[in-house]
Amino acid sequence: MLQAGSAVRGLCKAIRPSAPIVKAADKAMAAHALPATLVLSRSQSNKPVVADNRVEVFVDDIPVMVEPGTTVLQAAAMAGVEIPRFCYHERLSVAGNCRMCLVEVEKAAKPVAACAMPVMKGWRIKTNSEMTRKAREGVMEFLLINHPLDCPICDQGGECDLQDQSMAFGSDRTRFLDPKRAVEDKNLGPLVKTIMTRCIHCTRCVRFASEVAGVEDLGTTGRGNSMEIGTYVEKMLLSELSGNVIDLCPVGALTSKPYSFSARPWELRRTDSIDVFDALGSNITVNHRTGEVLRILPKTNEDINEEWLADKARFACDGLKRQRLVAPMVKDSKGDLRPCEWEDALIVAATALQEANGSVAAVAGGQADAEALTALRDLVYRLGGQHVCTEEVFPDNGSGTDLRSNYLLNSSIAGMEEADLVVFIGTNPRYVVLVLPCMSPTPGAWCWCCLVCHQPQHLGDSSATVEQLCAGTHAFSSKLAAAKRPMIIVGQALLGQSQGGVLYAKICQLANKLRGSVEPSWRVLNVLHRVASQVAALDLGYKAGVAAVRQQKPKVLFLLGADEGAITRSDLPADTTVIYQGSHGDAGAAMADIVLPGATYTEKTATYVNTEGRAQTTLAAITPPGYAREDWKIIRAISEVLLCVFNVVAHEEPMNVMLQSVGAARVDGSAVLRPALLQLEDYYMTDVVSRASPTMAKCIAAVKKEKSNRYHSK
Amino acid sequence: MAFFGLDRVSRFFNLIKENGGFRQSLYKLYRQNDLKSGTLVGTDKLGNKYYENNEYFLGRNRWVIYSPSLGTDFDGSAVSPAWFGWLHYKTDIPPTQKEHVQYSYIDTTPSPNPTGTNKAYIPYTTGKPKIQAWVPPTRS
Amino acid sequence: MSSSRLVNLRTARQVKPMLSLDRAEARTRVINLYKAWYRQIPQIAIDYDLPKTQSECKKKLKEMFMKNKDVKDIRIIDALVIKGQMELKETVQVWKQKHGIMAFWAPTVEPKPKDFMGKFLDGHN
Repeated sequence: MLQAGSAVRGLCKAIRPSAPIVKAADKAMAAHALPATLVLSRSQSNKPVVADNRVEVFVDDIPVMVEPGTTVLQAAAMAGVEIPRFCYHERLSVAGNCRMCLVEVEKAAKPVAACAMPVMKGWRIKTNSEMTRKAREGVMEFLLINHPLDCPICDQGGECDLQDQSMAFGSDRTRFLDPKRAVEDKNLGPLVKTIMTRCIHCTRCVRFASEVAGVEDLGTTGRGNSMEIGTYVEKMLLSELSGNVIDLCPVGALTSKPYSFSARPWELRRTDSIDVFDALGSNITVNHRTGEVLRILPKTNEDINEEWLADKARFACDGLKRQRLVAPMVKDSKGDLRPCEWEDALIVAATALQEANGSVAAVAGGQADAEALTALRDLVYRLGGQHVCTEEVFPDNGSGTDLRSNYLLNSSIAGMEEADLVVFIGTNPRYVVLVLPCMSPTPGAWCWCCLVCHQPQHLGDSSATVEQLCAGTHAFSSKLAAAKRPMIIVGQALLGQSQGGVLYAKICQLANKLRGSVEPSWRVLNVLHRVASQVAALDLGYKAGVAAVRQQKPKVLFLLGADEGAITRSDLPADTTVIYQGSHGDAGAAMADIVLPGATYTEKTATYVNTEGRAQTTLAAITPPGYAREDWKIIRAISEVLLCVFNVVAHEEPMNVMLQSVGAARVDGSAVLRPALLQLEDYYMTDVVSRASPTMAKCIAAVKKEKSNRYHSK
Repeated sequence: MAFFGLDRVSRFFNLIKENGGFRQSLYKLYRQNDLKSGTLVGTDKLGNKYYENNEYFLGRNRWVIYSPSLGTDFDGSAVSPAWFGWLHYKTDIPPTQKEHVQYSYIDTTPSPNPTGTNKAYIPYTTGKPKIQAWVPPTRS
Repeated sequence: MSSSRLVNLRTARQVKPMLSLDRAEARTRVINLYKAWYRQIPQIAIDYDLPKTQSECKKKLKEMFMKNKDVKDIRIIDALVIKGQMELKETVQVWKQKHGIMAFWAPTVEPKPKDFMGKFLDGHN
């Protein structure tokens, strides 16, 4: 059943992470680990369809040809018939414990659970027969025995599977007169609110936590009527993917704490957009009402985030309302920033840029969009400036960023499941690009240097290890050479350090060597970026790192949302005018002489390029607050003022090609390759929006407090 | 007399006389837009005079002539609390007959209506603003 | 009836005329409306106590008519004539108020900015 190379993601979801994860080729082990009924429909759909072994079944007398092993529920879906379900979920293992999907199969004695039953040849499935309907009605009656009738005060109301399905399939009255049972609520942390009395024990959350998020914290205790979902002991759900259990829960047992009691789904307007908290470019739906973002939900995109979303992307949206820049500001004679009109700010900024006489530089931050980056680059070049940089560092040895494949996740995110061996160097994919851990086992064992996906293994935490790997002297090298589809994923901890260029060049050489033994279309070398703007910036000719700006000491420095402190006041001469354009007041705005209020990603229609080089567009859900404007418009307005008032003539675009050979540079083997984000509390605040978010602050406090919990697993 | 309507002429002259002659009457017309004759019921601390004439309709039969110290800038808020009840028909007993009960918690000095001045009440929202703006750090 | 008028009639019939069958008729209606307004101007100026002289009012009347001088479609001309007639009646009957008449001189709605900078400073997207 398991196809060779069907891989990481499928396997990791299907198999409990604590079990040794098998190489795809190891079929015996795979068969052992897989539940008998599991079907990896996704990997199957990738394979050419072989007509011979398909079997014919009839769903409500509609003939369908399906692969053997397909479940009744999947066969029905192929025929266009949706069977009601609670516990079944496409991306989780099959539990078969809600019984809602009971259907009649002709000549079968009892109704069968469609989600767990593989079809047999010639089966006639009746999804709308009298027996099916009675079965559903009975199951619904049982489910509602202990379900409280608190829909009017339940946050799930309006988007509740149980509500919808009891309307569609349930009875119109109850025969149950006894008292209902009540269950004590669990404290799962500041993000997930639990009302456990509402739980119908579908165990979707348990399966998600162990199979996708990789935390074994959730589980069931008790049997029958006294069954409970919980964490066994009083502890928090320590996962950066915990928000997804809210979406998964078919009832209102797990709801969002920050969003609780704030809106009903029918009041919300929904705008599809792109997440910019990491370089993954997850697809999201922004839910907003009366010009206020209330919550962010994931949007299904099979190639990127499937249907999951990281907690920062989901819950940091309250940071969009705090610490905002709502009016342009200019420093007065005392040196304090004072709010002013746009006309004044633009004139002051344009005057400063004009008087700099070409000594202009720009630094772009992590959430800048491609349109603003383009406008800023053109402005700086037109004024005669030489340097447009990004805060994130990337080595410029060799061909540097001239070749696009040098800085992309070449194998693509969806392509990762084809890999049979993954080496992470200098990155912690769990906190850098969330959802990637969905594809990787035992997130508890994340190490900072190297990690092999199938048998997670910590290879070391210094650059010496990388050197050994590149030279082929490491104990692991033989495995790497034997892999059919190896992936080397390089992260910021390697690229950002002083010797990053040399190490990266060596890794490139290693990757090239490995490419000789793998199939020609397979890409070994991959770069995992931290921030959403980086790939677009490099595509547009931005220079990675601010070293050039430090050397140049420009008269005017334009910061486009650059808040991470890559360049500070002490790096610049006292007479440098700093123009900060961005959405939030943070380090950048604090050091600026002129502040121009920009928009966040929910307020502008802008393009972002994710780490695999996929360009995606956010859609403006709400308008920027106060006098804030879309970013590219601000830069264009400055250009127009320059044009009208100063009649600036365009300069020729300078050559910014710098090619240096790697040479035989020596590497200091003691350099430590530690990614910045190793602990969960590091993850929550990484940019201006999440730093402004009260929810994220609560998360950090809760995670830190959890460390003193005696049940906390180290 | 009444048949020919000549009593109105005498009434007119009486009115002028009661209001202190032609000059005074013209001033009162300018100040109050009205000329009325009635019995003086009382005067409050501020110097406002309260009149009654039950020949007028109910609603017009009790009135106040504001103190000359207020000039033309008078306002309903100048009526003292003691007389307010009588003037607005809450009671028929004026404070001259029965002492107005003073409560310590009621301020008896009238304050003029602040509408149109700096002290005018302007309603403002007490809710939290949806967007919290960044306040730049100040050096001074 | 001339032949061109017949052709016009035919085409006009095809699109179902509003009032006029041809341009000449439409033009007559427009001129009649203009004359009707012109005659009412002294009375309007008195009724509304307009702080404008009669010649100013006449100039404004001409301006309002000349604004639509390039309209060629007979049906649109007719529609404008009907609206002008309604306006005249409302004005003469004093169903309007003074500011309604004065709005001809100073429109109360500022035109929206069309250029980039205007829109940027105004906060329009």
